[in-house]
Amino acid sequence: MINAFRSSFLGVIALVTVAAPVCAQSIEDLNLQFHGYATQSFLYTTKNNILTANSSDGSPAWTEAVVNLSALPQPKLRISLQVRYSIIGQLGNAFTLDYAAAEYKVNDRFGVRFGKVKTPSSLYNTQQDIDPSYMWSLLPQSVYPVLSRNSLLANFGGLAFGTIPLGEKFGKLVYAGYGGQISLASNDGFIIPIKDAGFGAPNGYGETLAGGSLRWKTPIPGLLIGAANSHDFTSSVPITYDAGLITGTFAGKPFNNQTFSASYDHNKFSVASEYTRIPFSALISLPAPFPYPHVPYSFDNRGWYGMASYKITGKWAAGLYNSQFFNHAAAKGPARYSKDWALSTRYDFNEYLYAKAEQHWIDGTAVLYDTWNNTGGLQPDTHLTILKMGVSF
Amino acid sequence: MKKIVGVLIGLCAFGAHAQVIVIANPKLDISEIGRADVYHVFTGGSSALGNGTKVLPALQNDGKVEDEFLKNYIHKPHAAFMATWRSFVFAGQATLPKSLESDAEVVEFVATHPNAIGYIDKASPHADVKVLPVK
Repeated sequence: MINAFRSSFLGVIALVTVAAPVCAQSIEDLNLQFHGYATQSFLYTTKNNILTANSSDGSPAWTEAVVNLSALPQPKLRISLQVRYSIIGQLGNAFTLDYAAAEYKVNDRFGVRFGKVKTPSSLYNTQQDIDPSYMWSLLPQSVYPVLSRNSLLANFGGLAFGTIPLGEKFGKLVYAGYGGQISLASNDGFIIPIKDAGFGAPNGYGETLAGGSLRWKTPIPGLLIGAANSHDFTSSVPITYDAGLITGTFAGKPFNNQTFSASYDHNKFSVASEYTRIPFSALISLPAPFPYPHVPYSFDNRGWYGMASYKITGKWAAGLYNSQFFNHAAAKGPARYSKDWALSTRYDFNEYLYAKAEQHWIDGTAVLYDTWNNTGGLQPDTHLTILKMGVSF
Repeated sequence: MKKIVGVLIGLCAFGAHAQVIVIANPKLDISEIGRADVYHVFTGGSSALGNGTKVLPALQNDGKVEDEFLKNYIHKPHAAFMATWRSFVFAGQATLPKSLESDAEVVEFVATHPNAIGYIDKASPHADVKVLPVK
């Protein structure tokens, strides 16, 4: 079903892509643009291995390369796609499609996008794949888990969006409504706990969602307040146990993912905060000889962060954040939570080249870890150092 | 004597700054432009002015005209300005505007594209376009 859905939408994109040059009079009229970026990071942790890398020994296993193609065959029609090659620890080493969409923008008040479109579910969700656009090496993991980035980033479906001016006294309202299907790969961060429990999800997990977001650009310059809700419908996928010898089903129940956001920019100073909740439950059904035919599985993830940054010079910025995550469905202990203080800085050498450095003090093990790469067990706290170089064009 | 040399150096330095003006295609139905509109359309935040008029911005490559424009209206250095644009491009929300090499190219582009606006040094010839006072 998901593959058929995906094929249909990518078919529409392909059709528009083929049709676009016909509409445009020449290649120059297409306004074809090619951009990209690449980053290389070095990870070092004091105790636990993080992001599936051998980070306690120091690891360069975080590499990303992105190419972005866009065309504007007609003033109101934009076609764009972005492909990524990434290695994160033992994951990745593959090409993934971040998005591929055709956009028709009637005006600033209304536009539509179809294909694999970015999901505007939270303040930075549509930017979380664009490392050159933010100062942090790692966005707050309570809301933007990097190991689930690909599944959270975009959905196969459609999006309507626009900005409604409310007058000088009331600012502007930025809205988006979307619907489609998301696909979690078998190694997605949300599936890691399931794998840690001995199960396998050979086809990953997919579900249909529909949602919307509202962001109020208040009349106070720089102040933005937002809220978003995504309703995820029921879904059922195959699951395996006992090294693949037993096959059953993993049936997820519908849930709502709500996010509330606020940000304020004033001159060189920026602050932002977000809260999000994902209450998920599912039933794992396995045939005999598995001793329990129906195993409930659930998490109630609640994450929030507060961040502040300051542009010290035109090229140099620094900031800090506190990111907290709690799984209210988990047993009490370090695996139930993650509290992360991060101190970060970025220096832009020029328009193309930048460097980042970030120090984390992480208490709790609920985010960023797996057990197969921490065979001695997880320690309750870890310090993480990230050094990153990036180039974009 | 030292004072005179100092004054001359000061005058030369002052002369090195371009006096930037915002220009538009004569068919564009506006006679002035707000500072907020300049900021939003030249940083990719909006494709239209506050009154709904759709515009097509043209950029200039790094140089004294661009530096002065960014300093006066965008309040960002070139690298940060381009980073902002690339964020929109990578997000699939915008296409980087034409980036032209000289005032003459900007004037030609603006004069030949009905919704175009750009910025040039006031001293450069601009008979085929109209000047938009920035309010």
